[in-house]
Amino acid sequence: MRAPEIFRTPSFRIAGISAAVFVLGVLVLFAFVYWQTASRETRTVDGFLERQVRILAGSHPNELIRALVLGGDQSERHIAYAALFDGHGRAIAGNLAALPAQFPVDGVAHGATVSGERQVRAAAARLPDGQILFIARDVAELEQLQGIVRRALLLGVIPALVLALGAGALLSWRELRRVRMVHRAVARILLGHLKERLPARNAADDFDRLAMAVNRMLDEIERLLEEIRGVGDNIAHDLRTPLTRVRARLERSREATRGAAELDAAIDAAIAGLDQTLGIVTALLRIAEIETGNRHAAFSDIDLARMVHDVAELYGPIAENAGIELTVAADEPRFVKGDRDLLMEAVANVLDNALKFAPCESRIDLAVIDGPEGPIVRVRDRGPGIPPEERQQVLKRFYRGDKSRTLPGSGLGLGVVNAVMALHRFRIAIGDAQPGCVFDLICTRLAD
Amino acid sequence: MNGTRILLIEDDAETCAEIRGALAERGYAVEVSGTGTAGLKAARRGKFDVLVVDRLLPELEGLAVIETLRAEAVRTPVLVLSALGAVDDRIRGLKAGGDDYLTKPFALGELIARIEALLRRPVETRATVLRVGPLSLDLIDRTAKRGDRVIELLPREFKLLEYLMRRPDRVVTRDMMLEDVWHYRFLPQTNLVDVHIGKLRRKIDGPGETPLLRGVRGAGFMLTSGSEEPQPLTGR
Repeated sequence: MRAPEIFRTPSFRIAGISAAVFVLGVLVLFAFVYWQTASRETRTVDGFLERQVRILAGSHPNELIRALVLGGDQSERHIAYAALFDGHGRAIAGNLAALPAQFPVDGVAHGATVSGERQVRAAAARLPDGQILFIARDVAELEQLQGIVRRALLLGVIPALVLALGAGALLSWRELRRVRMVHRAVARILLGHLKERLPARNAADDFDRLAMAVNRMLDEIERLLEEIRGVGDNIAHDLRTPLTRVRARLERSREATRGAAELDAAIDAAIAGLDQTLGIVTALLRIAEIETGNRHAAFSDIDLARMVHDVAELYGPIAENAGIELTVAADEPRFVKGDRDLLMEAVANVLDNALKFAPCESRIDLAVIDGPEGPIVRVRDRGPGIPPEERQQVLKRFYRGDKSRTLPGSGLGLGVVNAVMALHRFRIAIGDAQPGCVFDLICTRLAD
Repeated sequence: MNGTRILLIEDDAETCAEIRGALAERGYAVEVSGTGTAGLKAARRGKFDVLVVDRLLPELEGLAVIETLRAEAVRTPVLVLSALGAVDDRIRGLKAGGDDYLTKPFALGELIARIEALLRRPVETRATVLRVGPLSLDLIDRTAKRGDRVIELLPREFKLLEYLMRRPDRVVTRDMMLEDVWHYRFLPQTNLVDVHIGKLRRKIDGPGETPLLRGVRGAGFMLTSGSEEPQPLTGR
């Protein structure tokens, strides 16, 4: 049979160990106290005996005899035995028949056994006339004292032990209860209740700190799941729309196509629709690739000014066709560490976005300026602008403002920009140009 | 028909049928292997002009086939096909010994244009003046002419025309131009190449002149020398 769960918890084990250590400490302490009391008491008794035997030996013989015979104050002086023997050990007076065997007569206290059984401390002295004075004191009192100490020890250790184990059990029970609560919370999360959090109250408690860290992780997971869910919906919508169109067109052309030219047109339209869906899939995979990729190793020094000129050159004819003036203000080289292809793609996507929204006969300004955090690539158009509440949204995958639902494109261009910026630990700021929109790609210099 | 032999190593039967059909219409002799080991055996045995190798193959991986062949000093140009389109995958494909890399799904026109680019390497001439039909391009003076008419070109337009003139009468795709002329590895959201080509075309083909730069539907563009009739790209 296995021990109940509570006895297997770490805190109970710790409580058990500390109880054992505590009890051991108490035992050592009591042993010390016991030994100290015993030896101190013995020393006191010995001193008393040695003093008494000296005093008595120095007193007048008659006085001595009287004292021995009377023995009146013996009990007061705690002297159990007092006797006077002649030079051959024969008793002259006192309450002892014989001197204990081989008892040294030197005025110093020794342990002895009298009357065959009683343990005493005793001292003997030789008087000037050769007689031997012997006094002894019972150590029963001492034994009694030792008994008290032993009882105190037992009475002290047992409750201490019980207390230690009880506290351990209580702590373990509390811990077990919290572990069970966490288990229940995790079980609910696993069942799909993503709002559920681990119980945590006290920031100073290790366990709670751990729970708080897990909760923060859960917050992030929840946010990501929400985002994925949103992306899923958008993928479904953005892929379904062109696919439905393709399907409808193919169906219609099968039923009512009159000539080869019409069939060709239908097929071309179908291919274009499929290409659009493939473009969406490609862009999604691209974002995933950028987000999961570890491309820091490929970072090199990139001149933003040159890059902006290259992008402007690439998009120049498009702006021209749309009747949009594209100006570039980037004369001084500005270097940042980055991935050339990705940064170029990001700048190109922002410009592409601006070109889509800029009205005819307007202007788009491309510039590299110096900001407090590092160089900034600024793209300014004179389009409708982006309302402040939508500015964070446009950077998310698939977000398309209501106004742009009808424009071509995967709706992922700015999502790619966002992913590229995040990879470089750069920032995007969207502002109002009144009229129009300002996109700042802030190339914050890496701390290292 | 034209004696060019292509080995296609691809396990999806339907893809094989489509590619084989499109290539056969262009007059190529196509042999198909369905597994990596069969493909390797065929590549060792036969004399092929181009290998088209899918990355994901049963028995032996596509890249392993290419690496083995390269280790055996088989220098036949290889076009790698893959559903893995990430930059790293592409680099890996080229490192293994592939000469070009095409991500699935692709347009058949793109595939054929790339196979033909591998079959006919660009004109590497020591001449300082390139000539295609009435066009001439002086690489030293950086000037372009159609007949006696001088064509004013921006630097990038000059590069684009040079690229096309080194590949006369051959289809070049938008992706190929983007990669080779602009050195861009990403697909822009807008049809950038079309706009650039359109601008170049207006400069080359003046009013009343025979159009030399023309679009090829479903594939890309072609600069014709005017001497030979361009073949239809897909034989539909």
